[in-house]
Amino acid sequence: MRYSPTTELTPITCAGCGVLCDDVTVQRAGDGVRLQPPCGLGAEWFSERVRWAANTPAAMIHGQPASIEAALTRAAELLRGARRPLLHGFAGATVEDARAAIALADRLGALVATDGVDGAWPGAPAVPLRGASTATLGEIRDRSRLVVIWREDPATTHPRLLDRLGFGADGSRSRLGERTLVVVDDRDTATARRADLQLHWTRERDVEALTGLHVLQRGLALPASELEADLGRLLERIDAVPHAAFVHGPGLTGGAGGQRRALALHELVRELCVGRHVVTLALPTAAGITGAQDVLAWQTGYAQNIDLASGHPELVTATAPLATSEGVDVSLCIEGAVDEPPDSVTGIALCSRPAGGVAVSIRTAAAGVEAAGTLHRLDGVPLALQAPLPGDAPTAATLLARLLAEIAP
Amino acid sequence: MTAIRISGGQVHDPANNVDGEVRDVCLQDGTVVAEVGPHARQIDARGMVVMPGGVDIHAHIAGPKVNAARKLSPDERRDDPLDRTEVLRSGTGGLVPSTFVTGYRYSLLGYTTVVEAAAPPLAARHVLSELRDTPMIDKAFLILMGNNQVLFELIRESGGSVSPRLRDAVAWWLQATGGYGVKLVNPGGVELWKQRNGHVDSLDDEVAGFGVTPRQVLEAIGGAVHELGLPHPVHIHANNLGVAGNADTTLDTMRTLAGRQAHFAHLQFHSYGGKPGGQPRSRAPELLEFLGTHPEITADVGQVMFGPAVTMTADAQVSARLRDLTGGKWINHDTEVETGCGIVPYTYRAGNYVHALQWGIGLELFLLGQDPWQVMLSTDHPNGGSFLSYPKLIRLLMDRDYREDQMGRANQRAIRRTALPDGLEREYTLNEIAIITRAAPARRLGLRDKGHLGIGADADVTIYHDRADREEMFATPRYVIKGGELAVEDGDLRRAGDGLLLSSHAAFDPDVSQVLAPLFEERYTVAFEHYPVRDPALREPARIVEAAPR
Repeated sequence: MRYSPTTELTPITCAGCGVLCDDVTVQRAGDGVRLQPPCGLGAEWFSERVRWAANTPAAMIHGQPASIEAALTRAAELLRGARRPLLHGFAGATVEDARAAIALADRLGALVATDGVDGAWPGAPAVPLRGASTATLGEIRDRSRLVVIWREDPATTHPRLLDRLGFGADGSRSRLGERTLVVVDDRDTATARRADLQLHWTRERDVEALTGLHVLQRGLALPASELEADLGRLLERIDAVPHAAFVHGPGLTGGAGGQRRALALHELVRELCVGRHVVTLALPTAAGITGAQDVLAWQTGYAQNIDLASGHPELVTATAPLATSEGVDVSLCIEGAVDEPPDSVTGIALCSRPAGGVAVSIRTAAAGVEAAGTLHRLDGVPLALQAPLPGDAPTAATLLARLLAEIAP
Repeated sequence: MTAIRISGGQVHDPANNVDGEVRDVCLQDGTVVAEVGPHARQIDARGMVVMPGGVDIHAHIAGPKVNAARKLSPDERRDDPLDRTEVLRSGTGGLVPSTFVTGYRYSLLGYTTVVEAAAPPLAARHVLSELRDTPMIDKAFLILMGNNQVLFELIRESGGSVSPRLRDAVAWWLQATGGYGVKLVNPGGVELWKQRNGHVDSLDDEVAGFGVTPRQVLEAIGGAVHELGLPHPVHIHANNLGVAGNADTTLDTMRTLAGRQAHFAHLQFHSYGGKPGGQPRSRAPELLEFLGTHPEITADVGQVMFGPAVTMTADAQVSARLRDLTGGKWINHDTEVETGCGIVPYTYRAGNYVHALQWGIGLELFLLGQDPWQVMLSTDHPNGGSFLSYPKLIRLLMDRDYREDQMGRANQRAIRRTALPDGLEREYTLNEIAIITRAAPARRLGLRDKGHLGIGADADVTIYHDRADREEMFATPRYVIKGGELAVEDGDLRRAGDGLLLSSHAAFDPDVSQVLAPLFEERYTVAFEHYPVRDPALREPARIVEAAPR
């Protein structure tokens, strides 16, 4: 990778989180980089990919450096012999990567998991149950006088989101003038500290709160509850504006009962939409997930997780991460965080980040740093990624196409 | 490429005044040619009907709206899977099929070109990605411009008329997105909906905050498209879709655009008498009368077919009404600066007065119209029904006994309020079917190489068994040839080609960027320099149709 100390790259799209700020300039700062407008998460995201590119072997087989060709051949052998292959990851995958991955999965008859196979279970989707009202960032910035952040901390996880929604870190507001930021969270977070109002009930009471708001919105009496005062304060603010937005994510939808909580939110928003305009914005767990799930939906008809073993797509409504599913014998991680797979699973990684504990790994060009591509922003807007520091590593899409050609010539 | 001689078929090529003549059609190197050599593949089409490949002028097959509908109803496609084969990708069907299945099933139906009729320009990259994954057919998309705040600013600047700057902006947008044409959906009304759940009563209502009216949007953008000479005229989804009494708005819109080329989408949904909030009645005959004196205006019907559908539209206000009507699933999505979007699954029931009236009005538009070149076939897929229902619709048009049987099953109060019971004996001929399903749409789209079988035309050909059951005939072509290659034989897909992206190009002053950039900066959350789609991988293989400025 060529990187001069004086390099300034402008403007690029940052893929450090799902907000995909596309107004970013990058300057070298010591061993890392500095972004303008400032974003610590974005700077770290960019810096670590530069480090990985410099320090990660092009390919490894069982922990030993190998040529890309040899690694591809071995990966193809493993996939060809797999009884129950799983493709997963996608945290940093481009739309092009996802298209190639699902083409390969179709040929293999594989499982595909786009919502993570490690960490917290993000929950089953509620949208297929009743739908949702959503909007792009600009709609919320320019119309919503009230934004409710529900059990998320975007100031940490999506550092410029509030700014992009018109709530400047310096206390400035968008051209709408007076606006209100409400945070529902029992934690003391960076986002909560910027809120005009924080409501502190715990996650266990979210359904009660959401249905309570629904009841109050319909003009009905709420059974005696210690939430009553808080709900009244929130509804009063909602009633005062023609436009409002709810920002949510795994804090609401993840874990046991997540789908029920999400459904309660969408039902509330639907009710609130009578007489005013109310929308929701979901925070994805990683920048590549929104696009990967969009690709999965258009290529197969189903978003999130599918099983292609029967010869056609079948929706997987798992209640636990797919990596722990019985029978998976080969896993192929595409631009994800690679944890060491279970003993029964042989791992393959096509990732820009270093991969340990897998049989075969090939380092890919990091999209947005070394390679161009397309990502879908958290609100669905598709954006081009640039390759400010083009390198020699292949993209995951290129490698997946090679694997497909090897497996189904 | 393969050389093919289709011999002895009954050819229906209305664009070239060929009406059922028995003659050979020769194909080589992807085009229709006068003759091929002795080693050309022979297709014996004796006893069969030969037509150009079908052209769908108005459908919804790709983009964020369509994909949201897929996500909304996974249950709807569980029972309609398609297995992978050596040449085909797997997928799922239903009313909103996955991309590969969309391409395959259009091809199996004998269609070779399809237009996605409503794409948010901001989502062009997504639309293009989906279209790349939609095989077999050539495809184009229309970009939504009827509620674009940046264009509102330019229209206000120009006092509501066409200006060079506006013309340049429209041409810039087409180039930036890869779009083929311009679509206006409920001009001004979607912005009012997004502002305060408002709507347009009259074309002269002002769009709050912008100082423009729907009429000015129609005149300025419709005029810009006309003057640019884009291959397809402005494509209108008029204000007040689905509202009783909306025929007044539709006629006013037609009068506003009279003298300029314009195409009206799904006219059936805009042909209602009565009063808002009351029961609708048919005013299709009045609209047809206007069309009869204005050949510069065309329409597609947007026929309703009884059974399940998925309504999806940039006219989000309509979806909110259907949400309240059905109490069922509903998606709303507001796209900054440009448009809205709403999705509601819906079922049209023969016994329901309004649904039966809609069905009857659609048939009136087909059967009372004097010029099939002016009124084209569509179901506004999947709004009025799936494109897979086209064969049934064709049978309704060609088979009077079948039509009367179906009428007998529909709500009689509604049917009596249409012209259908008044001895409407007309039965479409094969030539008229060829006009409304390929020749007229291709001509109206400005696709000179499509919709006909003259020398030099694209070698897109569909060959049908000449069956008495017209539904069966048009549902299962014997052969479909796409780009000179045999794509379908006896209901089986033989190959899975990519198909072309069809784009248009009009010259513009590049300095328009200096006007647009600050407006983008003010309104969009995407940087101006990142808005255009530049990736060759998304825009190719393409055929670019040049505008002919007026």
